[in-house]
Amino acid sequence: MRDVAIIGVGSTVMGKFPESLPYELGAEAARAAIQDAGISPGDLQFAYCANLYGGMVIGQAVLGEIGITDIELTNIENACTGGATAVRKAWWDIASGLYDIGIAVGVESITTSPMAGKLITPAKGDITGELGMNMVARFALSQRRYMDMFNISLEQIAQVSVKNHRNGCMNPYSQYRKELTIEEILNSRPICEPITLLQCCPSTDGAAAAILVPLDLAGKYTSQPVTIAASVLKSGDYAFRWEDMTFSDMTSKCANSAYEMAGLGPEDVNVCELHDAFAMNELQHYVELGFCKRGEEVRLLEDGVTELGGKIPVNTSGGLLSKGHPVSASGVAQIAELVWQLRGQAGERQVAGAKVALAHVIGGEVTGLESGAVAVHILKR
Amino acid sequence: MKTRVPFREGLFQGSDEEGSLLGARCRQCGQIIFPGREACLNCLGHDLESICLSRNGKLYTYTIVHMPSEHFTPPYAVGWIELPEGVRVFSQIRGWQEYPLEIGMDMTLHFEKLWDEEEKEVVGYVFRPSTNGGA
Repeated sequence: MRDVAIIGVGSTVMGKFPESLPYELGAEAARAAIQDAGISPGDLQFAYCANLYGGMVIGQAVLGEIGITDIELTNIENACTGGATAVRKAWWDIASGLYDIGIAVGVESITTSPMAGKLITPAKGDITGELGMNMVARFALSQRRYMDMFNISLEQIAQVSVKNHRNGCMNPYSQYRKELTIEEILNSRPICEPITLLQCCPSTDGAAAAILVPLDLAGKYTSQPVTIAASVLKSGDYAFRWEDMTFSDMTSKCANSAYEMAGLGPEDVNVCELHDAFAMNELQHYVELGFCKRGEEVRLLEDGVTELGGKIPVNTSGGLLSKGHPVSASGVAQIAELVWQLRGQAGERQVAGAKVALAHVIGGEVTGLESGAVAVHILKR
Repeated sequence: MKTRVPFREGLFQGSDEEGSLLGARCRQCGQIIFPGREACLNCLGHDLESICLSRNGKLYTYTIVHMPSEHFTPPYAVGWIELPEGVRVFSQIRGWQEYPLEIGMDMTLHFEKLWDEEEKEVVGYVFRPSTNGGA
């Protein structure tokens, strides 16, 4: 198996873009990644494109827009994990020796999709959905128990949103660039108690892309290749095996496999982008990713360990909470942020001397499973 | 009076004070699942027996939902109820305005109207805080 490196990344600004069609967003990100890598579109031998709401063969529309046709191109749907799945598949196509250069794109345009502004109705056969479950309720149920069993306050949870919105102010790609106070977060309208609006990630349009080559060829393109030290993707297990709804077994298992693959541990991670769809997720994921023991996660946040300037800055991009959550693009956007961090190109939000970075996404609801899919990537320079 | 129909066949039997949720126990590995299935999700064995689950359980967690929903007018409450068999059941929770919800409280199964569908009244299981000491 060959080592794989990322030689170029690109992203759109995240936000709400009713005037931009999905393939235009995807093309913008792909063009930026191609330019960053210093290659021609014609150099690309294969592509993966992740998308949830854009309709059939969107990858062909995205890449057709910038002159990439007649290659192996696969479209991917894996809910919030779609973008990371595209990166994972591109990684394998290079690692296995099948191809020498390819692109992973994630794109989402919720504003222009048929489901924009509509009530999301449960799929036929989704019993919990019919009985009143939804994506926010699922996490509100976890948060209620988390707060009660571990004596965690809403103010402490809101601190996550405060931190990530502060980081978002320093990211030109972020959907929101505005600081929030704990009061604003807690006084925003209740969605599913105890979750209020500003504890939730927004709905977001945007795209991101990454270009991968074998590490031994990376020198031809860049003096700053970023190596993919681990790439792990897992589907969810049955919920009856899920002991504790405040602890994601999926994330924990996926992270452990990734650390093993990379030959690294949580203590080696210098910067992390994790799935903060709701503020409390970030605290729970600190534990599951091994950054601290259970019961220490609030202290990790309050002591500034996960702030910029701390030992493991988390969600320097602003995270899903502030940068936004363009569902299928989020996994690739995380990789873009971490590549910039490892190359020292993250501007005001730069983590000094970052060498090892971790990206984590999870999502997709299926009755009877903990969740749909989870992915962890570890990058290093 | 409207015809009463179950919101899904095979999930429960009886009604009101007498009914129960229908789960399945695997005779091979002992796993209990709800809803029942053709095969055991744990060991994939096909030797399952249908069982009536306990009518009383503990509130594992809950939330008051303020979002619009296909069938329910917000605010409404939902939660996971942990039954003595070790099974967690997701359900509408009724009576939360009268009896403030608390994790670990005793909950009792009821069968009530969930929503109307044209000329039919769709009936399903809900849980309410137990008012008789949880017995």
